[in-house]
Amino acid sequence: MRFKSLLLTLAAFLLFSSLALAQQVVQGRVMASSGIPLSGVSISIKGTDAGTSSDNDGRYRINATANAILVFSMVGYTPKEVVANATTLDVTLEPILANLQEVVVTGYTTQTRKQYTGSVARISGSDVNLQPIGSFDQLLQGRSPGLLIQSQSGQPGSAASVTIRGKGSVLGGTQPLYIVDGIQVTGADFQGINPADIETYNVLKDAVATAQYGSRGANGVIVITTRRGKNAKTRLSYDFQYGTQTLPKSQLDLMSSREKLDYELYYDRPDGLNPFGWSPDDVDSLAKIVANWDDAVFRKAKTQQHVLSATGGNDKTRFFLSGSVFDQQGLVRATSLRRYTGRVNLDHTAGAVKFSLSTTLGVSTATNTDENDNVISTPLNAYRWTLPYITPYLPDGSYNLLDPGGNPNPLPELFLNTNKNRQLKGIGVASIEYRAPFMKGLTARTQWGIDFTDNQGENYIDRNTQENNVVPGGGGALQITNLRRVRTTGTTSLQYERKSGDHNWGVGLYQEIVKRKTETNGFFGFGLVGPIRNASGITPGNATNNYIPVVNGNVTEDALLSYFTIANYDYQGKYFVNLTGRRDGSSRLAEGNKFVNYGGIGLGWAVTAEPFMQQQQVFNNLKLKFSYGSAGNADIGNSYEALEQFGPVSYNGAPGLSLVNLRKDQLSWETRTTANLGVEFTTMKNRLSGSIELFNSITRGLYLNRLLSSTNGVGSILTNLGQLQNRGIELSLDYNLVNQGGWNLNVFANWTGNQSIIKALDGNNEIITGININRIGSVANSIYLVRYAGVDPDNGDALYLKADGKTLTNIYDPSDAVIVGQFDPKGFGGFGTSVSYMGVELSALFTYQYGYQVFNQARVDLENPQYWFSNLNRDLLREWQNPGDITDIPSPFSDFQAATTRFLEKGDFLRFRNLTLSYSLPNKLLGKWDMTHLRVFAQAQNLHTWYSFKGYDPEVFTGILTGAVYPALRVFTMGVSVGL
Amino acid sequence: MRNKISLLLMMITTGVLLVSCKKVVDLKPTHTIDGDLFFNTVGDYEFALNAAYDRLKQNSMYAGVNGGSIFLCAVDVAGDNFYGGPANLGAMNPYFRWNYTADEASVQGGWDAAYNVIQQANITLRGLQRFRTSDPLTVNRIEGQARALRAYMHFEAMRWWVDDYARNSQEPGIPYVDTFNVELMPARGTVEQTYDAMEADLKIAKELLSDIDEPIQSISSAAATNRAYIDSLVCNAMLARMYLYAGEADSAIKYSSMVIAARPLANTAEFPLIWQDGTTREVVWSIKFQAGDAALAREIYQPAGDQLSWRPVTALLNLYDPADVRTAAYWVNRNGRMVLNKYFAKTTAGASPDGVTDYKVFRTGEMYLIRAEARANKGLDAAALADLNALRSARNAATGTESGTALQTAIAIERRKELVVEGHRFFDLKRTTRSISRTQNCSSFCSLGSGSRAWNLPVPQTEMIANDNMVQNPGY
Repeated sequence: MRFKSLLLTLAAFLLFSSLALAQQVVQGRVMASSGIPLSGVSISIKGTDAGTSSDNDGRYRINATANAILVFSMVGYTPKEVVANATTLDVTLEPILANLQEVVVTGYTTQTRKQYTGSVARISGSDVNLQPIGSFDQLLQGRSPGLLIQSQSGQPGSAASVTIRGKGSVLGGTQPLYIVDGIQVTGADFQGINPADIETYNVLKDAVATAQYGSRGANGVIVITTRRGKNAKTRLSYDFQYGTQTLPKSQLDLMSSREKLDYELYYDRPDGLNPFGWSPDDVDSLAKIVANWDDAVFRKAKTQQHVLSATGGNDKTRFFLSGSVFDQQGLVRATSLRRYTGRVNLDHTAGAVKFSLSTTLGVSTATNTDENDNVISTPLNAYRWTLPYITPYLPDGSYNLLDPGGNPNPLPELFLNTNKNRQLKGIGVASIEYRAPFMKGLTARTQWGIDFTDNQGENYIDRNTQENNVVPGGGGALQITNLRRVRTTGTTSLQYERKSGDHNWGVGLYQEIVKRKTETNGFFGFGLVGPIRNASGITPGNATNNYIPVVNGNVTEDALLSYFTIANYDYQGKYFVNLTGRRDGSSRLAEGNKFVNYGGIGLGWAVTAEPFMQQQQVFNNLKLKFSYGSAGNADIGNSYEALEQFGPVSYNGAPGLSLVNLRKDQLSWETRTTANLGVEFTTMKNRLSGSIELFNSITRGLYLNRLLSSTNGVGSILTNLGQLQNRGIELSLDYNLVNQGGWNLNVFANWTGNQSIIKALDGNNEIITGININRIGSVANSIYLVRYAGVDPDNGDALYLKADGKTLTNIYDPSDAVIVGQFDPKGFGGFGTSVSYMGVELSALFTYQYGYQVFNQARVDLENPQYWFSNLNRDLLREWQNPGDITDIPSPFSDFQAATTRFLEKGDFLRFRNLTLSYSLPNKLLGKWDMTHLRVFAQAQNLHTWYSFKGYDPEVFTGILTGAVYPALRVFTMGVSVGL
Repeated sequence: MRNKISLLLMMITTGVLLVSCKKVVDLKPTHTIDGDLFFNTVGDYEFALNAAYDRLKQNSMYAGVNGGSIFLCAVDVAGDNFYGGPANLGAMNPYFRWNYTADEASVQGGWDAAYNVIQQANITLRGLQRFRTSDPLTVNRIEGQARALRAYMHFEAMRWWVDDYARNSQEPGIPYVDTFNVELMPARGTVEQTYDAMEADLKIAKELLSDIDEPIQSISSAAATNRAYIDSLVCNAMLARMYLYAGEADSAIKYSSMVIAARPLANTAEFPLIWQDGTTREVVWSIKFQAGDAALAREIYQPAGDQLSWRPVTALLNLYDPADVRTAAYWVNRNGRMVLNKYFAKTTAGASPDGVTDYKVFRTGEMYLIRAEARANKGLDAAALADLNALRSARNAATGTESGTALQTAIAIERRKELVVEGHRFFDLKRTTRSISRTQNCSSFCSLGSGSRAWNLPVPQTEMIANDNMVQNPGY
C-alpha cells in the first residue's frame, strides 16, 4: 500500500514536475456539512507559514505547490487536511460540539483540550463582548460552571466579584489572578480595557493548572488572550451600538406622603405624636404632595459604543489594531463612564526568532456617586430618607432644603459635588522567542510586560452641600488622590518538545519575577469659596481661616520570585500526563517563611481512543481526567504585613509614630490543595456534549483574625489558622436540538454546587467577627445572629429566640446568636438557548444563584422608629400599637435591635441576563457591496430578575448591604457590525 | 551573525534561569518605620509618646461622629441634662435609654480606644530603661508622661465599667495593663487592685516629672497652645479627681490645692475665651484638636450643619443666671433653640464654626469643686463654702451661705452647671445619689433606680469571647 502511494506520488511528481516547481493557484469553496458557506476559514499550507482565509461566500484562493497539503481550520469545526492535487478544491467541514482541538491557554503553555488534563473553561470573547457593560468581568456571568460572578452595583464601570470554585480564603483575597497576554494585571481594574479586543477567556480551576501560578493561583486564574493578526488579507471592521437604560423596580416600598403623615400623627412613639407640629391645614396640603424623586435622581440613560479594528498580515508580520469609544451615562444623574482605548498587537517572525508585541492603552473617566454606606449626605440614601411630602425643587426652581427632619436633599449632593476618577491604563508585553536551529524542539523565550495604572480621583465638595458640614473651614473642599501602580512581570524560559513514535513529551524550565510598586499621593484643599471649582480655587491656609490643606503620600513595593517547571507527556494520544512544580518567594511574609513549594499532577485518559471502544456507538468522545496539586495565596494585609510597623501621626503640631501593624513572625502562605475528577463526553452523534467535574480542596494555614483581648490595645491578629474545605460539583451540558433545513437550535445549561466548611481552627472552636462566625464543622463565614421571633401581642415587645431555640424572650442578648445562614451561594449557574435560521439568530441567557442570605442593613435605617424624621419603610404602618395587635413590627417603645434575623433576607434569584436578536445579511448582497459581513442586532440586558430581596437587586457579594446601592443596569441596545 | 545572536540569547536565558536573586523578595517599608530598626535612641521614644497623645483624638473617646464620644457626650446624655432633638440620628440613644448591650458598637469602641491609648503608652515604655544611665532626665520626662497617660486611661475605663468606686472595694475592677504583649488575657482583679496600680503610676509619674531635662510646658502661661501635655501639675489634677472618686477626701484636698495654687481661675473676661481656645487660663490639661480633626461634642450639637441631636432640658438651663458668665459661654440660641455653645468653634474659625475645639480635661474650676466636695464630706463646711463661693464669684454667679446637706446639694448643682459636657454628669450621679430622674421629654426613660444594670456598661462581647479571664458585669 505504502509502496503504491509512493509510486503514485513519484508518477505525479514526474508528470507535473515542471508545474510543481512553480506555484499554482488553488481555489474553491468551503462549506459546512449543512450546506452553508463558511467565511473566515483559515487555509494554510502545511509546513509553511503561507495561508489565507475564506471570504464571505466561503471562497478562497491560495498559491500552493502541487500536492502541498492544505489545512482548513475554523473554530467549531473539525480541521481537514486536503492534498492540493487539483486547481479547484471544494471542501466540506464537519461541525464539532465538544471541540477537542480547542486550544487551552494556561498562560505559560498552550495545549489542545484533548491533551490537557486540567479543568479549564474557555469562553470566547465574541460570545460575550456584545453586552454593553464597561467592565469585562461582568460579562462572564452564567457562562461557565465553577465561575461565580456577582455584581453588586450598576455604577458605570464598576467591577464585579469573581470567585472560582468557592472562596478558598476567609480573610485573604478570593478574587482570581488575571493574566492578560502572559502578564499579571490588577483585578477589578478593568474600566480601561476594551472587551472587544479579547479573543478568549480561559478560566483555570484545578490545581494542575493553578499550580503553575504557585502563590498567586489559589483562587484560580483567568487567562485572557487578546486578538492577534492573521496571515490573511487586511480586514476592517466597525461595530456600533446605542441603547438606553431604565430604572428597575425596587422591592423596598417607602411610605407615601399620606402614610408618613399618618405615621407621624397617629402612631404612638417615645418621641411623642406629631413631632413636627403640623396643623390640620398643613397635613391636608402635605398629604396631597406626590414628590417625583425618581425623575429627579434617575434618568433614562444612554449608552453608545464604537469599535474600529483592523487585522491582517503576511507570513512574516501580522497585526491587529483597534480603537474604541465607550460612552455610558449612568442611571443616576450626573454619573457616567467614558472610555477611549487603543491597541496594537504585532507578531514578527525572522527565521528562528519571533518577536511579539501586545500593547493597549485606555483612557477613561468615571463619574460616580457614593453608595452602600450609611452616610446621610450620600445621594442614594438621601433619596430614600428624604420626607415624601418634600418636593425636590421649590417652585422657583431652587433645591428644596426645607426638609423639617434635617434630611439633606440628594440633588445638591449629586449635582454640586463631583466624584470623578480618571484612569490611564496601559498594558504592554513584549517577547522574543528563539527556536534553536541546532536542536529541534528547543525553544528559548523571554517575555517582559508592564501593567500600568494611573488613577486620579477628584472629589469636589461644594460649600452649599451637606457634605460640607464636616469640611474644615466650611468653605468647600477639593480632594485629589493620585495612584500610580506599575507591575512588572518578567518570565524567562527554556522549553523542549519531542515526538518519538508513540511518545510525545515536552518540558519547560521557567524563572519569573513579578514586582509591583504602588505610589499614592494626594491632597485635601479647602476654602473653595471663589468661582473656581478646581485645584486653583483652593484658598491657601493660614492660622485663622482653618483652610490648612492635608497632604499625604505613600509608596509600597511587593516582589515575587519564582522558579518552576512544567512538563507534559502523552502516549498514543490516549494517556496524558501534565506535571507542574514551582518554588515561590514573597516579600510579604515573615523571614524564614518567604519560600514555599507548589506542585501539581494531572492524568488523562481518552477512553474513546482505545481500540475496544471503536465498535460502540454511544460515545463519540469520552475522556476521564484527574488532577491533584497545590497553589497558594499571599494576598493578605499590607505589603509588609509580617513586620512591626509604625506610621506617622501628629499631635499638637508635632510628629509622632504610632503602631500600625503588629509583628507576625509566623506569617506564612495560605495553601490550597485541590483534587479534581472529571469526565468529558460527546454522545448522540456529537449532538450532546457535556462534562461533570468533582472537586475537593483544602486550604491550609487559613488566614483568620485570631481574637485578642482588646485590653492589649488591639482586638485581633492575622494568623495562619486552621483549615477550610471546599467541595463541589460542576455540570455543563450543550445540546444541539435541531440542525436541519437551515434551522439550528442549541440549548445549554451549567450548574455548580459548592460548600465551604471550616475543618480546623488550631485549638479554637470558633472565631466570631461581627455577625460572622467561623466554627469547626460549619460553613465558612456563617451568619451569626440572634433570631427574631416576632412581636408579643400583649405589649408590642420584640421577641427573640434564646440560644436553646425554644424559649422566647423580650431581652436581646448577643449571646443568644446562632448560625442562621451563609452569604455565599450554595449553587449557581446559567442556562440559555440560541436559535438561528437564514442569518437570523436569537439567543437568550439566564443566570441564577441560590442558597444564600443578605443582611439588609439598608432596611435597618428605614425601619428603626427612632428615625421618624426621615421617610420609612411602608411596613412600619403595621407597627404594634394596641394590646392584642398581631403584627411582625414591634412597638416603637420596644428596644430596637439591628443584629437580628429580622433584617436577614433570602438572596436567591433568577435573572434573564441577556436576550439578543441579530441578523446577518446574506453573502450575495455583501458581495455586491464589497463587504465581508454586515450584522444588525438588538439586545436587552437584565431584562427581568425574579427575587424576593427588598431592594433593587439581590446580588450582594459583600453579604451585608450597608446602605442604598446603585441599581443594577437594565439596558436595551441596538447596533450594527460591518466588515470590509 | 545570526548564530552568534542565537548563542547569546541562549546564554542569557540560561544565565537568568540559574542566577538566584533572593534579594528581590527582601523589601523593607519606606513610608512606615520598621519597629525592629527603630527605638535606637532616647529621642525615638519622643515620637512614640506623641503618638500616644494623638490616640486621645480617636472618635470613640471624646470627639465623635455617629456613635463615638462615650467619655464625653454619652456621659451627659446618659445623665439628666439632655433630651432628643430633631436631628438626633439615634447614635446616643442607647445612652439616653440605658439599653446598651454587649455588642453595642460604641461600647466596644470606648473600651478599645482607652486600651489603645494604653497600648501606645506601653510601647513608649518598652525598652526605655536602656537609656536611664545615659539620659536619666529625658527618660524621666518620657516615662512620667507615659505612665500618667496610662493611669488616666484606666481611670476613664473604670468610671464606665466598674460598679463600686470605693478605694478598697473588692468588686471587680478593670484589667490594669502595664506591658505591651498582645497575647495577654488579663483578669479584672479588684477595684482596690486597679486603684493600687493607678495610684502607683500617677505618683511615680509625678515624681519623675519633677526632675526632667527640659520643661514640658509652662506652668503659668495662658497662651492658647499651652497645656497640651501631661506634666507634674496634670498628675496632681489626676490624683485629685481619682481620690475624690475613691472617697479619700484628704488626698483629694491635698492635690486639688496644689493645682489651685498653680493655676488660678479665669476672670469673667477670660472665661468665654477658654471655650474658643483663645486662652488656657485655668486650663490644666487640654487635648488639642486642630483643623482637620473631628469636632468635639458633635453628637450633641454640630455647629457646622446646625444639627441639633440633643437639646438641654429646661431644668438645666434654669440653673444659670443670665449674668453668670457660663450662661453665654455654654449656651446659645440658634434658630430659636437653645444649643450647646461650649464646643462651638475656636476663635480662629471665623464665620464657619465647625466644633473643632480642644477638650479641656482638667480645669481649676473642677479643682475647686473637688476640694469643696471633699471638705464638705469631711464636715469642713466653712472651707467648702469658701471654695464654692470662690468659684461662683469668678463666674459672676450669686454666692450663698449653705451648710450641711444644703451645701452638698449646692456643690452638686454647681458641678452640674460648671462641668456640663465635660465628661462628669452620669458619673457624678453614679458616685453620689445613684439615681436619675428626668422630667422632660423622657417618655419611658425617665428614671434609673440604684439597682439597674445600666450604671455600668457591659464588657464588650468580643472581649468576653477573646479573654478567658474576663468577667461580665452583672445583668448583662
